[in-house]
Amino acid sequence: MRDDLGLPGRLFIVEGIDGSGKSTQLNLLHKWLISQGYLVVFSEWNSSPIVKETTRRGKKRRLLSPMSFSLIHAADFASRVHSVILPALQAGTVVLADRYVYTAFARDAVRGVSRNWLNKLYSFAVKPSLSFYFDTPLAESMRRIMDGRPKLKYYEAGMDMELSSDPEESFRIYQGLIKHEYERLVDEFQLVRMDATETLIRQQQRMRDLVRPHLSGVMRFDGGEIHQALRDADLLGRYLSDGPGRLPAP
Amino acid sequence: MTELSFYGFRPPGIEGESLPGRLIVIEATDGAGRSTHVALLKEWLEDEGYAVLDTGLRRSDLAGPGIQRAKGGHTLDPITLNLFYAADFWDRLERQILPALRAGMVVLADRYVFSLIARAAVRGVSLEWMEELYTFALVPDLVIYLDIDVEQLLPRVLSSTGFDYWESGQDFLRGSNVYESFVQYQRMLLTEFRRLARRHGFTVIDARRTVSQIHQTLRSVVDDVVRGMEEWPSDRAGMEQVHVARMDGAGHAGHDGVDVTRSEPAAPSE
Repeated sequence: MRDDLGLPGRLFIVEGIDGSGKSTQLNLLHKWLISQGYLVVFSEWNSSPIVKETTRRGKKRRLLSPMSFSLIHAADFASRVHSVILPALQAGTVVLADRYVYTAFARDAVRGVSRNWLNKLYSFAVKPSLSFYFDTPLAESMRRIMDGRPKLKYYEAGMDMELSSDPEESFRIYQGLIKHEYERLVDEFQLVRMDATETLIRQQQRMRDLVRPHLSGVMRFDGGEIHQALRDADLLGRYLSDGPGRLPAP
Repeated sequence: MTELSFYGFRPPGIEGESLPGRLIVIEATDGAGRSTHVALLKEWLEDEGYAVLDTGLRRSDLAGPGIQRAKGGHTLDPITLNLFYAADFWDRLERQILPALRAGMVVLADRYVFSLIARAAVRGVSLEWMEELYTFALVPDLVIYLDIDVEQLLPRVLSSTGFDYWESGQDFLRGSNVYESFVQYQRMLLTEFRRLARRHGFTVIDARRTVSQIHQTLRSVVDDVVRGMEEWPSDRAGMEQVHVARMDGAGHAGHDGVDVTRSEPAAPSE
């Protein structure tokens, strides 16, 4: 990964198995950063509009062998790096990513793809300022997932790996393999390990404490100007889309 | 018999075995007569009794339609586009080429990874990254390069399709003069192809000659490779050897006819 670009923006990413609570924490961090006046760009795994159709096609028809799975996700990631992440970092904003290259490293490595090849394949990626790994016991994350979403999808459950014909059992074994692979990655890439069994507020406090030192010198957007204008004009801003005097939705 | 040999690493899901078929690749820039010669070779091989599969770029179920759409919009950065092509290539390797080779067919590939590497390299994508990307590719039994110059290419392109947007490099070359773009782009591409030919030991065939002359030369080099396919390999069932060749310098024994140049593989650069 490239870390010699000297870009004015900052990149923070979260990793962890499904049900580790990483998205919840990133979401809270997102809101806090905005409240602090930072410009934030958010990028999600597997969301490039250009690649989406091919991924959907592959998943629906179950055309994705480990290598095609790997290459299609790399294409999706590359597209997001070039069209979203890199421009935002060049412009000086904070970029938050829910899953990053480590998700690909873990998912592809458990499917037998060469780790060395993966490292070189993703050499175009920008190295994050901070990477958080949400460490949670397998049983706990399984409970969280099975509570809310009983229907497991084919690839999400690792059914392509033929670990078990029972989706729930397959999912459990698969998540265990991914978790094991994450353990290697935490050491190799110095991810910050977050104890995802702590209270949500404690986790968020720790995240903010770790992020704060990286924010010095990052561009902030002064949203105060509209308040001043409203005061000067003696208005509430009732019809502004996100104005302070906005009426509650009927 | 083809040994299952890859440029860098053996991709997951590929069983360790030798293959009774043959993989023959024809590389060249557009307009050099590549598709014509694939068609003629296919017909000749079938007449000789060989079962033939022909395959070309962007023909996969998985990524073919996606690439067509993406190219239509001209919206992709080169890394993403090349990863798309890599997904297409892998899908065809896994689901068309390897099954055909296992079944004992001759696979004629109208372009292989080298066209993809050459096109990306002239567009500024790191050559090292491209060659590393394709280390999952199967090493062919024979790679033929149809060698031509821009001067001979021009009349052929003009008399057929005319100047294509991509084949004139208009996606990255500045200036609105299509003719100049075409000449500049094809010069760059041909330089890259010749470099790859030396590096990987392609069998270089002079494509400035008549179609008939070229076809006769192709027959003789292909015949050397398909000879011996009448018998199943004696160890067909139990062969478990998988060899990993390096991307630099994986060559094959070729033909020493007067009109065929053997490019000697360059010494490993490490």
